[in-house]
Amino acid sequence: MKWYLLAGALTLFSSCLKQSIPDAMLGSKNSGGQNGGGLTATLSYTLNGNAVNISVPNADGQNPNYYTLGCTKSTGYNLDGISNSGEITFTFYTDSLTLGRYTYTGIYGEMYFLTYNGQSEYVYAATDSMSFTVTSYQHGHISGTFSGRLTPLVSAGNPTNTYGAVGSISISHGSFQNVPVFY
Amino acid sequence: MSKSTLTAVILLVTILQAHAQIGVMKLVGKNTSNYSMGFGGFVKTGFPVSDGSDLTFELGADIFFLNDGYGTADGTIMCPLKAGYRYTLDGSGEGFYVEPQAGFNLVGITSLHDVNGQQVNLHYHGVVFAAGGGYLFNWWNAPFDLNLRYETVIDHGGSNNFISLGISRFIRFGKRSAGY
Repeated sequence: MKWYLLAGALTLFSSCLKQSIPDAMLGSKNSGGQNGGGLTATLSYTLNGNAVNISVPNADGQNPNYYTLGCTKSTGYNLDGISNSGEITFTFYTDSLTLGRYTYTGIYGEMYFLTYNGQSEYVYAATDSMSFTVTSYQHGHISGTFSGRLTPLVSAGNPTNTYGAVGSISISHGSFQNVPVFY
Repeated sequence: MSKSTLTAVILLVTILQAHAQIGVMKLVGKNTSNYSMGFGGFVKTGFPVSDGSDLTFELGADIFFLNDGYGTADGTIMCPLKAGYRYTLDGSGEGFYVEPQAGFNLVGITSLHDVNGQQVNLHYHGVVFAAGGGYLFNWWNAPFDLNLRYETVIDHGGSNNFISLGISRFIRFGKRSAGY
């Protein structure tokens, strides 16, 4: 009978492992690299040759409601970044964010995308556009590239705004890395 | 004939004809509350090694569905192959028994959605330990095995644990000197 008691004890002891196999496997995946809250999120681009850089250490530790650089899931996925020179925003119009290119063009209507040194830049004309490409989406973080051609807002009006030279704002070398997605 | 009655008859016939075991089971442990009651099918054989003991072999397939809110067929499937030593308490080869088992999980797949909402399929194997007991009886001159056991599958530093209640028509190779 001792043999059976030993087998029973072994079975119960082995079940004392504190996590299930799926949890252990997912935890192992998530523990790779710099994960665990220590990731630094970055976003950078040039606006008509002027560099804009955002870097947020420990990006996962940001308040999901008030963050410097992050992405929030609501009706779509809203990526927002705040820099010394202004801010940038982009909405991925999708229920489920996947890898790929997301483009907003002027044919969809006017849309605000960023502010640089107090000047707001819009997709306005049909030839304007802003494109974000998600190249990585892992463990709640997205990375990718972006570019665009925008039109500056000269003055906000009601019902119509007044815009400057169409397509005069060039966004290039856009890149974002390890941007946390908050739910 | 109601659908449930028809299902029960089909299952009974399946047991009788395929000499298979069916069982209901429940995953236990951390983060298992979203798993519904599981079920499985088994084939179990045994070789008498003494008047009161059998060396048993069991191949099974267990499935547990996961209610994770995605409305898809998420869940876990495991196919353990186990060897065991079944010892009847009165040494007669029938009646109440205890049976420790050990083996290997041939196939393990867990499908779920991760924190990103992405579908993930996790593949694993792992060693299997089980401890349980049951009751051996004859019904229409066929040997049946009603059993309750606790089973754990260990892999990747974690374990899937479940309690199973099953019934089988047992396949025995070889002859015991007396009785069952």
